[in-house]
Amino acid sequence: MPEPAFLEERRARALEAYEAEPVPTWRRSGFWTTSLRRLELDALEPRRYDAVDQLPQIVREHLGDEEHSGLIVQRGASIIYAHCDDPSVTVTPLEQAVEEHPELVEPWLGKRLPVDEGKFAAANAAFWTGGAFINVPKETRLEKPIQVVYLIDEPGTAQYAHTLAVIGEHAECRIREYCLAPPIDGQALHAGAFELYAAAGAQVQLAHYQDWGPGEVHDVSVKRVEVARDARVKWVPVHLGGHLTKQTLDIVTAEPGSDMRHSGLYFTERDEHLDLFTTDKHEAGHTTGDTVWKGALTGESRASYEGLIHIVPHAQETHTYLQTHQMLLSQKAKGDAIPSLIVEVDNVSASHGGTVGELDEEQIFYMQTRGIPRAEAVRVLVEGYFEEVVQRLDDPGLEALVRRRIAEKLAAAEEQVREFIGERA
Amino acid sequence: MSLEIQNLHVRIGEREILRGVDLKVERGQTHALMGPNGSGKSTLANTLMGNPNYEVTEGKILLDGEDLTEAAPDERARAGLFLAFQYPATIPGVSVANFLRMAVNARREENIKVKEFGQILGKHMELLKIERAFTSRYLNEGFSGGEKKRAEILQLAMLAPDFAVLDETDSGLDIDALRIVSDGVNAMRGDERGFLIITHYTRILSYVKPEFVHIMLDGRIVRQGGSELADELEEKGYEFVREEVAARA
Repeated sequence: MPEPAFLEERRARALEAYEAEPVPTWRRSGFWTTSLRRLELDALEPRRYDAVDQLPQIVREHLGDEEHSGLIVQRGASIIYAHCDDPSVTVTPLEQAVEEHPELVEPWLGKRLPVDEGKFAAANAAFWTGGAFINVPKETRLEKPIQVVYLIDEPGTAQYAHTLAVIGEHAECRIREYCLAPPIDGQALHAGAFELYAAAGAQVQLAHYQDWGPGEVHDVSVKRVEVARDARVKWVPVHLGGHLTKQTLDIVTAEPGSDMRHSGLYFTERDEHLDLFTTDKHEAGHTTGDTVWKGALTGESRASYEGLIHIVPHAQETHTYLQTHQMLLSQKAKGDAIPSLIVEVDNVSASHGGTVGELDEEQIFYMQTRGIPRAEAVRVLVEGYFEEVVQRLDDPGLEALVRRRIAEKLAAAEEQVREFIGERA
Repeated sequence: MSLEIQNLHVRIGEREILRGVDLKVERGQTHALMGPNGSGKSTLANTLMGNPNYEVTEGKILLDGEDLTEAAPDERARAGLFLAFQYPATIPGVSVANFLRMAVNARREENIKVKEFGQILGKHMELLKIERAFTSRYLNEGFSGGEKKRAEILQLAMLAPDFAVLDETDSGLDIDALRIVSDGVNAMRGDERGFLIITHYTRILSYVKPEFVHIMLDGRIVRQGGSELADELEEKGYEFVREEVAARA
C-alpha cells in the first residue's frame, strides 16, 4: 500500500538532502571534534525481524514488570511488539498510524524536524521504518506510562527510528523511550528522531534512557519537544552508554505560560565519545525554564555538553536557568561543559553556570572522619552528585535502574578512580 | 586510657603552625582548648583527624597508646576518634539518615538493623530537638549554621566515640541553640569518653564545664589550669596572656 502523499513528498525531499549532504564532522573551538569517518555507513543495512510474543531479555530486564498504557518495541528496522489496551489513547507503530490515521499524523510529523538539518536527519526522514506514534487526546489522564523501545542487537544494523508524540490539551502522561543494545561485535547506527508536542495545559513527564552497551553503536539523533500555552514538560534524558553519540536535544517553550524542566545525566567510560548539544528555546514571553545536566567520565572517554538558552525577540518576562556540571574520574578522560546564552530581549532573567572538576577533597576527608573508607566515600559522593537529576525522573522504577547502572559503572572503574583520586591524597 | 599529643609540630605548605604541642586527655575528662584566632586550634583539630593538607613534621598522636600519627582519617575514626567540624562539608545527594547509617555501619562487623538504628536515632533526635523531616534532607545542604552544628552533635551521639574533639561548635549559635547543643554534649559525657572542646569564647564553658583549660598562642600551649582559668580569661582577655608570655620570655 503506497504511503500518503504528504509522506512520500517528505521522503523525497529528505532523500535529496541526504544525497547532497556529506558525512559531517562536528568541530568546535578548542580540542573538540566529533567525526563519523570510522563509521562504514555503506556496510550497514536496515534489518527486518518478525514480530514476537515474548520480549527479548534485555528489554524485559529494563522494563521490569510494571504495567503500561502502551508499549512499542522496534528491533532493527521492524516493530516486533506493539501493545496498547487502553482505549483512551493511541500508541501504535508510526508506519501503521500513517495508514490508519493520516489526519492525526500529517499536521505534526516533522513540524519541528526539518529534513535538511544535516545528513543523518535527512537519512532518518528519508528511510525511517517502524517508529512510534503516541496520541493522548485532550483531558486524558494516564496513570501508567507509555513506553517505546529501540533495540539493536546485531552488528551491521542501521536503525532509522522515529517517535512522534502528540499530547492533547490538559492531558497528563508519562512517556519513556529506551535505546538498548546488548554487547555486539561490530558497527551499528541508530539515526533517531523524536518529536513531542504538548498542547495547552498538558503535563508530560518524559524520560529517555540510552544504553547502547559496549559495542560500536553510533547514535546520531535529534530530539525536540514543543511546549504550548500553560503546558509543562519535565524531560530527563539519561545517557549511560554508547560508542559514539551525537545528539541534539531541544525544548521549545512556544507560548506564554509554558514551563520546562530539562535535566539530564551521562556517564561515559572506556573509549566512549559523547557529544550533546541542548537548546532551551523561549519563543514566547512569560515562559520559564530550569535545566540541570550532570556528567561523569571514566576511562579514556570524551564527553562534551553544550547547553544553550535562546530567548528570541519579544519573549519578555522569561525566567530561565541552566547549570551544567561535569566530573572527571580518570586521568585520561577529557570533557567540557559549556553553558551559553543568546538573549535578544531585555526584560528577562536568564542565568547559567557550569563546572568541570574533580571530586572535592574536603568532602572525602569529611566522610573519612566518620569512619567511611576513602573508596566508599568516593562512590557515595559520585552517586550523591547524580542524585539531584535521578530524582527528577520522578519514577521509582526508572530511578532504581539508573542508580544501579551508575553503581555498576563506578564499580567497574573502581581501580582507575582509586588511582586517580589516590594520586591527589 | 587516653588521647595523647606529644611534641606535635605541624605545617601547612611552608608555614609552621603548631610548634610543639603536648596535651593529654584521659577518658572521663573534659578539656577546653582556648586561644585567639590564628593560634593553631583548628590546625590541631584537623591534624588529630588526619587532614591531608596538614603535615606533621615532628611528634606523635597516640590513642590508648596506639600511634595514629600516620593513620588515614577513616582508621582514626574507627579507632574511636571524632571531630565535630567548625565548617562541616556539604554532602549533596546523601540524606542525614543514610549518612548516619553508613557511618554507624563503618565501625561495625555487621550492619545495624533498621529498627535498632531507627530507635537510637529517634532517641538522640529528641534530645537535640531535631525534627523528623531533618533526616531526609541532604547532609548540610542548605542548612543554617545552627542546623549544621546540631547535625555534628547528632553524629557524635550516634557514633559514640571514645574521644571527641569539638572545633568551635559554639560559634554562630544563638543562646537557645547553644543550650541544646551543650545538653547534647553533656548527655554524652561519662567515664568512658574524653572531650576536647576548642573554643575562642568562654560562653560554651558555662554550659559544658571543663575540668582542664589550656590556652594556645602562636602554635604552643602557654598556660594550663582548671576551669578558673577560663574565668580569668573572660575577665582579662587574650592580650593579657600575650603580655604575660612576653614578660616571661
